[in-house]
Amino acid sequence: MDKGTCPVANNVRALAGLLAEGRIPVARSRQWAEDILRLMKDVGSGRGGREHFPAMEALAKRLQWEGENKACVDLGKKLSSELQTHREVFLSHLETRNCPLGDCIELSPAPCQMACPAGIDVSGYVALIGQGQDSEAIDLIRKDNPFPWVCGLVCTHPCEFMCVRGRIDKPIAIKDLKGFAAERAMSEGRYNNPEKAPDNGRKVCIIGAGPAGLTAAYYLALKGYRITIIESLPMAGGMMMVGIPRYRLPREVIDREVAMIEDLGVEFRYNTRFGKEVTIEELRDEGFKAFFVAIGAHASFKMRVPGEDHFAQVLDAIHFLRRVALGDHHTPGKKVAVIGGGNVAMDAARTCIRLGCEEVAVVYRRSRNDMPANPEEVEQAEEEKIRFSFLTVPVAIEGENGRVSALHCLRTELGPEDESGRRRPVPVEGSDFSFDVDAVIPAIGQTVDKAGLEHLGGLEWSRRNTINVDRASMATTADGLFAAGDIVTGPATVVEAIGGGKRAAEAIDRYFEEIPQPKMPSVPARRQRLECLEVPASIKMVLNRPAMQTLGDDRRRVTFQQVELGLSEQSAREEAKRCLRCDICVRCGTCVDVCRNKMGVDALQMGYLNFDNPGHTDFRIAAERCILCGACAANCPTDAMRIEDRDGERVLSICGTILNHLDLEYCQICGAPLGPARYHDFIRKKTEETGLTTGDKHLCMTCARKAAAKAHGETMPPIA
Amino acid sequence: MSKYYLFQDAKNCIGCHSCEVVCKSNKDLPLGPRICQILTIGPRIVDNVPKAAYVFMPCFHCEDPWCVAACPTGAMQKRAKDGIVFVDHDLCVGCKTCMSACPWGAPQWNPEIGKVVKCDYCKDRIDEGLKPACVTICTTHCLHFGTTDEIPPLRRERYAKAMASLE
Repeated sequence: MDKGTCPVANNVRALAGLLAEGRIPVARSRQWAEDILRLMKDVGSGRGGREHFPAMEALAKRLQWEGENKACVDLGKKLSSELQTHREVFLSHLETRNCPLGDCIELSPAPCQMACPAGIDVSGYVALIGQGQDSEAIDLIRKDNPFPWVCGLVCTHPCEFMCVRGRIDKPIAIKDLKGFAAERAMSEGRYNNPEKAPDNGRKVCIIGAGPAGLTAAYYLALKGYRITIIESLPMAGGMMMVGIPRYRLPREVIDREVAMIEDLGVEFRYNTRFGKEVTIEELRDEGFKAFFVAIGAHASFKMRVPGEDHFAQVLDAIHFLRRVALGDHHTPGKKVAVIGGGNVAMDAARTCIRLGCEEVAVVYRRSRNDMPANPEEVEQAEEEKIRFSFLTVPVAIEGENGRVSALHCLRTELGPEDESGRRRPVPVEGSDFSFDVDAVIPAIGQTVDKAGLEHLGGLEWSRRNTINVDRASMATTADGLFAAGDIVTGPATVVEAIGGGKRAAEAIDRYFEEIPQPKMPSVPARRQRLECLEVPASIKMVLNRPAMQTLGDDRRRVTFQQVELGLSEQSAREEAKRCLRCDICVRCGTCVDVCRNKMGVDALQMGYLNFDNPGHTDFRIAAERCILCGACAANCPTDAMRIEDRDGERVLSICGTILNHLDLEYCQICGAPLGPARYHDFIRKKTEETGLTTGDKHLCMTCARKAAAKAHGETMPPIA
Repeated sequence: MSKYYLFQDAKNCIGCHSCEVVCKSNKDLPLGPRICQILTIGPRIVDNVPKAAYVFMPCFHCEDPWCVAACPTGAMQKRAKDGIVFVDHDLCVGCKTCMSACPWGAPQWNPEIGKVVKCDYCKDRIDEGLKPACVTICTTHCLHFGTTDEIPPLRRERYAKAMASLE
């Protein structure tokens, strides 16, 4: 078998080939083999159910044991072993209806869903929002992520980087749509928990009430587990609460979504530091059989420059943000330097502005393009009049009388690329300069604060100070101990922690059920195949990604009010219509090839289908050139391209985008639809030289044949 | 026209549709397409007796076929050696222009593969020295296949007899 190809697709191909060649000539065995093929095709097209796998296994065994000759027995053996070897892949196809390699073409995943660390069925919920079904969209999101509202406001949206619409104009505003739907559903009182399984009496202890811990708690509680969360802070949310400032993520948002999890019966023990206030032995005595460690990365890296440890006015960003989040709104100083170019640096700088700092400068050693912070964050920081000093590296913090007075820096130049692919900043000798500051906030990276975990035996720590786990099951090297979130990945994003928490919940359930853990990381599940929203090509082309309305600059400099004001209902519904539904269209380009190269019509201008060299896209061209022959639809492997006759018209659409529609002509005898005039003109032009057809009537195929037979019958001699 | 002629002696046809069945089975066709078709004309009352005629409608393999002219991809072709009109499935994209162009409704749609299918006189069988499937199966032997000069002059003989009996 070729490496890197899907075993389901491979087996379907091989078995179909074998049968077509007539290699299983005995009727009974052939029937079994054909049945297996049919079941396998179901698996590879999302039509399979739970019973498919045992049914295929049973049929393969029958072939193996009862096959009439060697060929049948060998086939049975081979299929049995294939099913056993690739059991996990077959089951994953059945459960997720997603073929990550895209070999099972109807199960090709959408790029947005594959990019999402939590694997949310993006196309599905975008379509639901487009239909105005906000609470249904939230239900769908919460199958993979219990924090749609939080993520709708602060997610780093890797999905949008992969969005195919971005090859035409701008990606779909996936994050903003999610935030819109969550707020809507919550305010309408239609944000509900799914039904919980009955209590199974099993106790799981989760350490850390951050996104990873809360996510695991949610999915385990839904399965009937009794969950207790140990949290050192006085509130839930972890870094979402004490790392992300309120102007990006209001506390109410976290509180409401945490309350949904609390509603499932999850117990929270606040102000309890694991390893200090409570030990694992005590918890074991309480009856906890499994533990999930998700304490995050709440310690900061040091800058290692002179003066860093000498002044109270040097406060790392993580502590600073936590202090502010917990209610201390004292300004750190009048002139503040924030060191670093990531999102935490932006958060710290923008928080300083809101606390009343007069001047805030972000000092970053590389250039603007190298900043790891989200571009929107940087733009909003600039709108708030934060100064940026790029290509600058601090070398010392200077002070007078025990207070910080200046930051001593060097200019840098960008040298050759390092292993991260970014150019390494090299300090320029003699380019020293200082500027006056009275507070410095380093935000150069976080790490795990191991305090409390040192005595936990059996764990394997990496050099980066993270816990080594099995990436498929999030199981640590200690029995019954699982871990996810920043403590595994190092400082990362909310959505990555959510993805880890979800995987851990699945693994903890398997641990109790004594089901073997998966060998491969789970595949995002295609939750449902929703009908496409119907949009005329012209609308599809002219709709623009909505600009996020923001709070006025003045207000932003004085309050922690939410900066992004959310989408209006109209722009949210319209935005959902821009989606190209990549869960259905796999962008294989067959339609364009058929239309341009085979038919010579060239009506489809869809340059976005080409991943490497996207060309120009204009859906509207089809209405000018398309003859509605339907060859594109006939060759579409996923039914994305459709041709239908309705309301007197023949209509061509791709994933709901109406490319062309023309009035039908009808059979003059039976009234069956024949196709539009433009199609008949196309044919007439081609057959002109052959001569006129017999008669000038427009007839359908059936009536033409009947008429010919009748004429034939009448010319025959009378039946004697 | 092709060098072959498929002749139906309608007088002996009982309309059993065996030809249609074997044709579909030979070409592995799903519900829908009928490459050849028996069409019933009548019944009509002739001398106070209801009479019906069964007309066999395959493809006529025209000399200058509309379907070949209409096909934009070159899938519909006339075989050089014997004039059989057939469709190459590797080239057919399912635009159905041949179906619209044919005055006799001979090319049919196979929804399972999204391509056109049509009578090719079972050219693979012919190349093996066999006759088309419909001819082979015909219960009453009313279907005759061969080169134009091999077809029995049945109608002429029958007509001659009928004339003779008038005397």
